Amino acid sequence: MKEFALYAGCTTPVRLPAYEASVTKVLEKFGVKLIPMKDVNCCGAQYIESVSYNAFAAMSGRILALAESMGRDILAICGACSGSLKIVKHELDNNEKLRAEVNSLLEDEGLKYTGTVEVKHLLQVFREDIGYDAIKAAIVKPYNGVRLAAHYGCHVLRPPDIVHVDDPENPTIIDRIVEIAGGVAVDYTGKTRCCGGPMLGIDEEVAGKIGTDKIDNIRAANVDGIITACGFCDIQLTQVQFGNEAEGKERIPVLQLTQYLGVALGIDAEVLGISLNKISPAHILATQ
Amino acid sequence: MDEVNTAANTNHVPSSNFAKEVEAMPGGADIAKCIQCGMCTASCMVASTTDKYRPRKLIQMILLGLREEVLSSDLPWLCMTCRMCEERCQENVNLAEIFHAVREIAAREGYIPPAFKNAIDVVLKDGWMLEDAYSDFIEDDRDDLGLDTDLSWNKKFVAKLKKKYFKGVFIK
Repeated sequence: MKEFALYAGCTTPVRLPAYEASVTKVLEKFGVKLIPMKDVNCCGAQYIESVSYNAFAAMSGRILALAESMGRDILAICGACSGSLKIVKHELDNNEKLRAEVNSLLEDEGLKYTGTVEVKHLLQVFREDIGYDAIKAAIVKPYNGVRLAAHYGCHVLRPPDIVHVDDPENPTIIDRIVEIAGGVAVDYTGKTRCCGGPMLGIDEEVAGKIGTDKIDNIRAANVDGIITACGFCDIQLTQVQFGNEAEGKERIPVLQLTQYLGVALGIDAEVLGISLNKISPAHILATQ
Repeated sequence: MDEVNTAANTNHVPSSNFAKEVEAMPGGADIAKCIQCGMCTASCMVASTTDKYRPRKLIQMILLGLREEVLSSDLPWLCMTCRMCEERCQENVNLAEIFHAVREIAAREGYIPPAFKNAIDVVLKDGWMLEDAYSDFIEDDRDDLGLDTDLSWNKKFVAKLKKKYFKGVFIK
């Protein structure tokens, strides 16, 4: 059985526990066991990252070193966390001076970064560790003709030479899984554009407009739902549909990939936390 | 004087060594590769949403040496770091990294937007972002989903980082 250390991050456990639960249940179905990481700190994404390169490297570096002490590769389910951990790993592997500085901070905890663990985003585990054939073989309750738009998440896909997840201009992992489970993967304008989430802290109005633009493009493709693989994106794409600009428009449900797939694998919707989704995906589930 | 001579006599000299300063920062090294083609601005969702931000222009301001103007503005903080521009840049200029470097210089001099400062204060105090948001209701949801309700975040390490990297700079 393949095992990963799960780094769930700050946002998912609090704002989107259903994502964490559905990831755990779906991977378990494929024989992938997750061991939640304890005594961790924030990866440092965006905020610490903006003001101190060294402090950022230390924060993500400590998470990497903790996984080393567990002897497990890391599974990160948030775009920002997976991106930060991979970027810092890349820096620590190529910058001896930085590695020495981070290790000097970890020493009194008995931790050390040596570079032995890999960091994977959820989408990589589906493609590399489980594989499309095994996913196909496990579908027991396929969807029928439901039209779905994939949103991948910027930090999941870019920078591609460091994160190694999918083609950054034409990603396919979510789309393939949508189709394997019986849905129709629908292309739309600006598929790889940002959800606007990272702008929330500095200009909420601009963040809302960017998210709304994304939703409008998806709506124009006449879809039944949106499938994501980043907690932060899920929250942003959901909340912009409750803002003033969205008034009078029908809301498009946002589902995590693991919630969508989980139902097709025969896992109970309640176990996947689907009742916690703010926009009901009942009409998607009804196609089964 | 003909036009050719006028062009030849124009001497573009940056008004400060700001670009060199950015270049020496971690992540800032590639700024000199920019050819000002504008592919970044054309790819940028922020630029297509608001007139106040143009990544090409911001890089140009840095190259021109407009140090105070850049550091005291919101411009370096308006990049979402979505890296769409980097994906499209034919010269491999990593704008998100460059703007991080500029933010680090700005922060050292006390220029930091309140939302960023607040979030940094929280992370350096709690070790993570959402301690105050983790309510009993959410704890119940986690319990119902079979998830651990004790999130067990480490606070000691950030205290150490605060002392080492942020002492007397801009964090209380």
